[in-house]
Amino acid sequence: MPKILIKNVAKTYVDGDGNPVEAIKNIDLEIEDGEFVSIVGPSGCGKSTLLEIVAGLHSQTFGEVIIGEKPVTGTSRDIGVVFQDAALFPWKTVKKNILYGMEVAKVPKAEQESRLEKYLDLMNLKGFEDKYPSQLSGGMRQRAGIARTLIMNPKVTLMDEPFSAVDHLTRCTLQEELVRIHQKEKKTVLFITHDINEAVFLSDRVILLSPRPSVIQSEYRINAPHPRSRSDEYLVHIASKIVADISRGAVKTDNDFVI
Amino acid sequence: MTAKSKKKKFTLINAFQIATLAALLIYMQTAVKSGAVSKVFLAAPTDIIAEGIKIITNGTLLPHFLVSIEEILVGYGIAAVVGIGLGIIWTLFPKTEEFGNVFCSAIMAVPKVAILPLLILWFGIGFLSKVVLIFLFAVFTILYNTVTGAKQCKESYLKVARVFEASRFQTVFQVVIPSALPSIFNGLRLAAATAFTGVVFSEMQSAKAGVGYLLSEAQGLLNTPRVFFLIVLITVMSVIFVKIISLIEYAVCHKWRRV
Repeated sequence: MPKILIKNVAKTYVDGDGNPVEAIKNIDLEIEDGEFVSIVGPSGCGKSTLLEIVAGLHSQTFGEVIIGEKPVTGTSRDIGVVFQDAALFPWKTVKKNILYGMEVAKVPKAEQESRLEKYLDLMNLKGFEDKYPSQLSGGMRQRAGIARTLIMNPKVTLMDEPFSAVDHLTRCTLQEELVRIHQKEKKTVLFITHDINEAVFLSDRVILLSPRPSVIQSEYRINAPHPRSRSDEYLVHIASKIVADISRGAVKTDNDFVI
Repeated sequence: MTAKSKKKKFTLINAFQIATLAALLIYMQTAVKSGAVSKVFLAAPTDIIAEGIKIITNGTLLPHFLVSIEEILVGYGIAAVVGIGLGIIWTLFPKTEEFGNVFCSAIMAVPKVAILPLLILWFGIGFLSKVVLIFLFAVFTILYNTVTGAKQCKESYLKVARVFEASRFQTVFQVVIPSALPSIFNGLRLAAATAFTGVVFSEMQSAKAGVGYLLSEAQGLLNTPRVFFLIVLITVMSVIFVKIISLIEYAVCHKWRRV
């Protein structure tokens, strides 16, 4: 039984002018327990829409998403989401931000504190717990954002371009940390990114979506053990193959438009 | 408010500004003292100061001053509580906004000074009619700033709340209202200034006491230095009141605002 089952999902929404826009059409995807799957694709291809459907933030037009054995009908504490810009509350300290989910869930204070210690350690946030988000760097903010999600111990973790707003070096560090955490906790992760090298470096499997209306264009299994090297020939080869496939897909739709 | 206002250089422009002000004051002084302008129309700055010292030391001012302050504190205080409270209720239950918005907009559209005759009929020329007028002057600004601020809450904050399955109450009190604080304080500041307009105007129209009453009495007695002094006093009070609101905002928000 796969952990995340996306069955024939399609999404059509109505844009500002009242025209229907087909964002996603017929996506079928199975993600195994403990698997790290990345979704890449050209910008505006509906990656984030797909993630928000899996998260229960949007409803799909067709199809079904099943997590564990339950169909997704709305947001759930079993589904953790890490947002693009961390989306921390600026009026709360790092500590209060990380504890937000548990406060909402009314977890007893003593348990909150003990879990907080663990995740401050895990995300290298020790000493920053009483700072406000505006006092942190982008990388630190995203660490806190990830801690806020993982501390709830969700069954699956969805990440929507979590490192797109941080500088390159910080991004590399965060990627390595994410690999380390994933190796340790073996959580199921669905990771959205537009950075192909990032996807290849992190994932067990990379899914390439086509331009809108998006379908799965190709799928790449990455059989390399962690820790991986960024200059590994095999990984570089896959990344260049994905890049080539993306431009192929884009050319195809251009032709469609010409006709 | 912050470090930037500490070290301001004294420029040539500042020198000219002071010179202009000094010229104006000297003109007032010489024009009145030489008899070129009648004492009824203008007052010499020295006379204004002397009159001010006189009404402060002989106890003429204090009871009127206290009456005005009391009217403002009560009227404005009720307006702040009702404005913010109703704003929160509207945010919690959108149906109540749908119901109440048209009435509040309608009452807000009425120039408040036009209601004064009615307020005097209902509540007399004493304390109560002033409080009601100040309340009407202030409450809508506070209400609509609260509601607008709540509506401008960032989509990503709301998504975080949904992902953690926060209830409607939790979302409004822990996310929407904190994010609306800057807008709420803006409303409180604007209302503070208009509250002074309200109290002075209503006291000038019909009252037994208050700074506005003193002002119109001074005008009736052709005591122009006193008129000038009271105008300055009311302006200073109004500025101080607005400043107090800013200080409260600073105390509440400065920790998490970007420095």
